[in-house]
Amino acid sequence: MPEHIVTSFDDELNEIDGLIRSMGDTASAMVGQATRALIESDDILSRHVISEDMVMDARQRELDDKAITLIARRQPMAADLRAVVGAIRMAADLERIGDLAKNIAKRVGAVGETVAPRHYSHSIETMAEMVLEQVAGVIERYQDRAPEALREMRADDEKIDIQYTAIFRELLTYMMEDPRNITACTHLLFCAKNLERIGDHVTNIAENAYYVITGSQLPPYRPKQDETMSVLAE
Amino acid sequence: MNDLAHSRLLEGRVTMTGIEPAAKMEIRNLRFYYAETLALKGITLALGERKVTAFIGPSGCGKSTLLRVFNRIYDLYPNQRAEGEVLLDGKDILDRSQDVNLLRARVGMVFQKPTPFPMSIYENIAFGIRLHKRLAKAEMDGRVEEALRRAALWSEVKDKLHASGLSLSGGQQQRLCIARTVAVKPEVILLDEPASALDPISTSKIEELIDELKAEYTIVIVTHNMQQAARVSDQTAFMYLGELIEFGDTEQIFTAPRDKRTQDYITGRFG
Repeated sequence: MPEHIVTSFDDELNEIDGLIRSMGDTASAMVGQATRALIESDDILSRHVISEDMVMDARQRELDDKAITLIARRQPMAADLRAVVGAIRMAADLERIGDLAKNIAKRVGAVGETVAPRHYSHSIETMAEMVLEQVAGVIERYQDRAPEALREMRADDEKIDIQYTAIFRELLTYMMEDPRNITACTHLLFCAKNLERIGDHVTNIAENAYYVITGSQLPPYRPKQDETMSVLAE
Repeated sequence: MNDLAHSRLLEGRVTMTGIEPAAKMEIRNLRFYYAETLALKGITLALGERKVTAFIGPSGCGKSTLLRVFNRIYDLYPNQRAEGEVLLDGKDILDRSQDVNLLRARVGMVFQKPTPFPMSIYENIAFGIRLHKRLAKAEMDGRVEEALRRAALWSEVKDKLHASGLSLSGGQQQRLCIARTVAVKPEVILLDEPASALDPISTSKIEELIDELKAEYTIVIVTHNMQQAARVSDQTAFMYLGELIEFGDTEQIFTAPRDKRTQDYITGRFG
């Protein structure tokens, strides 16, 4: 897109874009580190993730302030208006991703205290890799202005949901095998749930980014593969 | 979709959106010349009945020229001519047989700078009515009051109807001009930058007035204020260099325009 006649308008939009990118980077780092802390029972790393949440909050507030000021001063139209409103919404999703990563980090201590066999968390590791790829990818695709790639992310989220259901069944089996696993497995279950929620936020961001770029909304229907509601202990 | 809309789509010159409202005015392949200079290069669009249609575009794009065709005010100037068709309720107003005085009673116009006549507030309104009709005093009083009420000016001037129209503030003068236009009971009202010389409060009053008037009139507004076009109009047309670039529902034009030139203009990227 060509530049605005008023250059400071471009500067302000670029600042907002920069904050989204930075929040995206921090969110991916937090998700990656939280999972590593969980798998390696790394308390120091988990505390770092918890502290990073404050950075995310501050960036979101900064972005909100900038966006509101820009709307008041510039009255953006069309693609500019979509970019600013989209940024506000994407920042809210990124902030939630940070919260969920923090929640995973908070459980590191509790899981570590029990004799959680490391192999129990293997499938969580796989799921985390899938989620991490999504978090890092969504902002990249937005910056690259690649609407088709963003549209495909909704389908990728289904794979995460399927993986979550698989983990749910697996952890349930471990708990039935040996009740001493219950504490660790319950915490891990919550971690898996947090990862699944992160995937949903990525989907929101992808849908928003698609609208910002194209001006049209993706159709609302999205198949949901979370079948844990119907999983029974047998 | 009607045939006209369909043919326009086929021509690929205009992006269509939404459902076409019943057309009050249909402009077909309109070309306009200032002497040898072609100022409108084949404009085709329809103005919805009792809708507000806004024309936006940079200076010199032809939007005011287009407005001046709708009531043939250009007829007053030598060397200006229009070709094509402008159908008002299906009848071509460019036709030689068209009585221009009758046309201007049906298609009223308000200009950028308030232009009250140098006479009393009352006479400013009665003057126009008398051109078309002889009325008894009581009846005329009623028409004047009705017009001033329509223009949301009555409560401010009812005690000084015989003061000069020029003694009013700029915003009041502009509403007086709207009252004068409304008094002759037109069907279409053309507004050429009606609020550009007014303060924000007077501007809001004019915009509120447009909202009220559209219940009865077909309104066409030319404005440089994009937010104003977005606020008051149902449909928006973007013109550039004498051509109609994009025409569609206002909501779509200002949130997701289809043509890159429209996008560049309304976001302030026009070089």
